[in-house]
Amino acid sequence: MLYKRYIEIGRVCFIRLGDDVGKSAVVVDLVDQKHLMVDGPGGLGRKVVRLNQVALTDIKINIPRGCKTKTVRTALAKEGVEAKLAATSLVKKFAAKNAKAQLGDFARFKNRVAKTASNRKIRSTVRKLKKSS
Amino acid sequence: MKFKCAELKEFEIVGRPLPKGDEKMPVYKMTIFAPDEIVAKSRFWYFLRQLKKVRKVNGEILRMTEMSNSSPTKIKNFGIWVRYDSRSGSHNMYREYRDVSRTGAITQCYRDMAARHRARPHSIQIMKIETVKAADTKRPVIKQMHDSKIKFPLPHRILKFNKKSIFVADRPSTMQ
Repeated sequence: MLYKRYIEIGRVCFIRLGDDVGKSAVVVDLVDQKHLMVDGPGGLGRKVVRLNQVALTDIKINIPRGCKTKTVRTALAKEGVEAKLAATSLVKKFAAKNAKAQLGDFARFKNRVAKTASNRKIRSTVRKLKKSS
Repeated sequence: MKFKCAELKEFEIVGRPLPKGDEKMPVYKMTIFAPDEIVAKSRFWYFLRQLKKVRKVNGEILRMTEMSNSSPTKIKNFGIWVRYDSRSGSHNMYREYRDVSRTGAITQCYRDMAARHRARPHSIQIMKIETVKAADTKRPVIKQMHDSKIKFPLPHRILKFNKKSIFVADRPSTMQ
């Protein structure tokens, strides 16, 4: 099949825009072509989100349409979605981006110094190899 | 006039003509969708004046309550009966919307009427709004969402454009 990720009941999504950035949620129902009803663990709860606020993951769970929050939570736990999500590149990238944003000035300085040192080493090694060849 | 707000609010307004002496005055109740209380009261008198011989000067509002959403996590199909003035006359319409709340559906209706018929809010009258069962809906746009195994992909997904990368070496992937 050409398309692997569908907007469907049970699709696990990652919220990339809006108030709940970084949270993951399950599609529980569809309002219309541009809005989803999602339910997520933690502080998200059950709410309507726009399609463009959401990024799809490869994970899909089996839940009936419009089911209760409790059903969603038990299904999520049964399929071990949290672990699968932590392995997705979306979540990893978001976590990395967040960590970088939280860095203090000193941490950023340390990173810059380390980067300069490693770049210098790489360039000198490349130059040596070029000379020898 | 209206629509500075994100979503309209639903008000239930009860008013009556002022009693002259001891006579009992009839009491009228209206459901008004408006951005705030002030506009709601204004629209209440506007409609009441059209229907009955009572004006704001000769009347009083007995009660005004903002109606809250009964089930904010349940998606409903709303049928809305509208009367609106076009450039050449007045027409009735029946429109359907899917939303989580009555106010959401009415807000959609106003936006939709403005978009499709260039109808301004002042020329739109909401006659009735009802929750409609999925089997009784008429519009195909609404009916298409009533599939229990509904699914669709996001082909050629263009997310918010990153202005830092107007020119790139390789064509970006729009696969989701």
